[in-house]
Parts: sequence; structure tokens; C-alpha cells
Amino acid sequence: MAIAVTGIGVACGLGYGKTAFRKGLLDAPNLFSVLKREGREAADGEIPFIGVELLDLPETLPPRLARTASFPARVALTVLEEAWSDAGLDGIDPDRIGLVVGGTNLMAREQALAARSYADRLAYVPPRHGHMFLDTDIGGLCASRFPIRGFCQTVGAASASGSVAIIEAMSAIRSGRVDVCIALGALQDLSAHDLHAMRSLGAMGSARFSEEPGRACRPMDADHDGFIYGEASAALVLTRSEWAGAGKIYGTLLGAGHVADGTRGPEPNSAGQVRAAELALREAGLAAADIDYVNGHATSTSAGDIAELETWRALDLAHARINATKSIFGHGLSAAGAIETTAVLIQMQAGHLHPTRNLDNPLDAGLNWVGPGAGAVLHDIRHALKFSFGFGGIDTALVIAAPDIERRAE
Amino acid sequence: MDSSKIVEMIIAEIRETVPELADEPITGADSMAELGVDSIERSEVILATMGKLGVKIPMVQLHGPKNIGELADLILDKSAG
Repeated sequence: MAIAVTGIGVACGLGYGKTAFRKGLLDAPNLFSVLKREGREAADGEIPFIGVELLDLPETLPPRLARTASFPARVALTVLEEAWSDAGLDGIDPDRIGLVVGGTNLMAREQALAARSYADRLAYVPPRHGHMFLDTDIGGLCASRFPIRGFCQTVGAASASGSVAIIEAMSAIRSGRVDVCIALGALQDLSAHDLHAMRSLGAMGSARFSEEPGRACRPMDADHDGFIYGEASAALVLTRSEWAGAGKIYGTLLGAGHVADGTRGPEPNSAGQVRAAELALREAGLAAADIDYVNGHATSTSAGDIAELETWRALDLAHARINATKSIFGHGLSAAGAIETTAVLIQMQAGHLHPTRNLDNPLDAGLNWVGPGAGAVLHDIRHALKFSFGFGGIDTALVIAAPDIERRAE
Repeated sequence: MDSSKIVEMIIAEIRETVPELADEPITGADSMAELGVDSIERSEVILATMGKLGVKIPMVQLHGPKNIGELADLILDKSAG
């Protein structure tokens, strides 16, 4: 059963909303700098952390509620509101609407700040801290503001969480549990502790480009030295294609693959990635030859990029155009799958592919890259393949079809 | 420290916790519940006030006051003991 995307809400370093997202994606300005949000300071004598942070959040909540909501929860409400009105969900039976939030340990930065602030005065910890740092507070807050009464669920799949949220939302619609399901990639609010640990682990960069933040995030380039964090969140409204009727849609999810590859830690596994893609293609009834655009997971880590290149070669995808969305607004971690699927859909709508920033020396020059030089390139996507992988051996792939011209969302 | 000072502190915490009460007149004769301060917010107000006073009184010992003035008296009483 094909699933249509009928609404989108998005937030990242490019700004809030689809208009800023589309323009920024195609223009690809440099967004990277030293992280400044409180609680992301590097230890004394250490290289500061590089990444992309959101602009000031447009406050839509009453102040009484806003002060009780974590930053990821407030951003989630913002993207949900945009997606909700985009899809025109007012009037749909609330019992037939579900929400899947992708991501775990989302409120780490604010929780670390609170732990520090109350370390010597535990007796005065605000009772609110007993629920506002739970990942499920996002779904709770969303359903308290929007008539979502089918179900709310939070799924964890590390950096594949956004894609797994989409896959679980597809599944909820296919099973008949709901008619409409929102997949929301939540903002992963990293603390200095997380940032430092991921840099120590060798997963996060960038020691090499600490003086030139704009060059630090370079997926699939010979000089990559780790992923670079970017705050992000996106919500996608999914429904059965026939249920969407003749209305405008962004694209159709034709197939999904989600497998375990048996890895515990951060190491990638190409065999698992290939299996996920094969499952997605089989469900879509397509072959790799039918894919004309690949949106990679492409994190900019050494091991990750090399394993993914092996995957693309094994699947024989050399003919397809390829770019790496993380090169523009960084790695959204829990949100990556959702916001990068959004990037696929927005590129379908735009009829252009965004450039890959910093891809000066591709690790594999035999692939059909959209490089850094020429800006956005004309390309009418028909069938896209989107990869997302997560620590803990999680591999996912989505096959996404462009809508017919007359059905395209404006 | 006298009770009226604690009343002022409690009122300041109420205005901080419930921003829509920022400009409302509030006195020691008002009850938080009647002002619309919910139960989690009431706990926050009391804990924040105790934090500023540097006193630790188990919350179970602070049940019963009918208004902010009585709450302030009780906090003063318990913290003296």
C-alpha cells in the first residue's frame, strides 16, 4: 500500500518553515560555526564544538506553558503546527490520527544543566523535572495542543530514528490502526557531555577544520573527519494514497526496509545497509536501475562514508544522481531521517537537486555526484532512495516516488 | 525573617511560575488554588521559596494552609523548629 505525504513542517539552521528550507537547500549557504547554546561549552583547553544551531524559536506557546516545555518539545510543536495546517487536518476524526515521535535522550542538554544547577540542592528540584525531560513529553505536549487521539508513540533508533518514525507511521496506516499518521523527527538537544563523548569516540569531527567551521562538514570527501551536529526537526503527515484523494501531495512512500545488522556500537555494516535497500526496493516493486536519485545517510565519518559507498556500489547505483544533505545543515541525529526525507520531497517539488558542500575530492569519483561547485542542478526526481543508519546496528532505506506534476503540492 | 516577607517571596514565585498572574493583585489572603495555580505549579512555588530561604521542610508537612498567609506562617514555624 503506497503512503502519501500530504503535509510538512521543518526547522533547521536554514530557518523555520518550508519556504526558508527550500531556498536554503538550493542556495546552500555556510551555516556552520562554533556552538554557542548554553551547556555546549567544551572543556577548558579543548577545541570548541562546531555545528549548526537554530535561530530564535518563534514562540507560539503561552508563556505559562512554554516555561514547562523542553526546547525539543517546543520545536516539535512548531513543526507539527506547520505540517498540520499544511495537510489540513482540522476536521479529521481525532481517533483516526496517530503520532510517532522519533528519538531518545532528546533533552540531554537541559537535563544536564538542571543536574548541574541542583547538584548541591537536590531538595529544591522542581517537581516538573519528573516529566518534562521524558522523551514521551513531546508526544504528550503535541496531543495536548492538537486533536491527536489515535495514539502517540516514541521510537528510538539513534540516527535512524526519524526514518524509523516514518516506517512505523506507514505501518500504523497500513494496519488500519489510523487513517493519518504524523512522523516527527525530534530535535536531539546534545549536551557538552554528549558532544565530547562522540568526538572522543571518533564519530564527531572536527579537529581538522576547527579554525574553519564552514569546511568541517564534508560527507564523502577525502578530508572528512567526522559528523558535524546540526539542530533539526521535521514533521511529515502521512496517509494512504487513495485517502489523499485528488489533493496535492509531496510524494509517495512506496517501500521501506528496516533491519538489524548485529552491530552493537557505532560501526557501520554495509551488508545490513544493502539488505535494507533490497527490502525497500522489493516492496516498491522497483529495481536499483529505476532509482534516479540517492539521498545518502552520508554523515562525514570515515568508517560510515566508506561503508555506505560500498553499499551503493553493491547495489549498482552509479547511474543515479547523489548528494549529501548533511553537508548543508549538519547531522540532526534523531531528526536526520525525517528532515532528510523532507529534503528529498522538497527537491522533487523544486525540480532541482541541492549541491553537496565541501565535496572537493570525492572518495569515489565514479559516482554521479551533485558537487559543491555549480549550485543546484536541474533534475526531475522520479524515484528516490533514502538511507538512514543508527548506532546499534540499525539500517533503514525508503523508496520515495515523485507525484505526477498535476498532483504536486505548491 | 517575618511572615510578611515570606508572603512577598511566595507571591513573587507565583508571578514567575504563572506569567499570566504577573499583573494581577495578589495578597496573603488569596489561595493559590483559587488563583488557578495548579498542583505541580504550587509545589514549584513552595520549593522555590524554600530554596531562596535555604530551608528544607518535607512537603507533607506543608499541607493544610488555606491561603498564602497561612502557608507563610507555617513555613516560618517549621523552619524555626
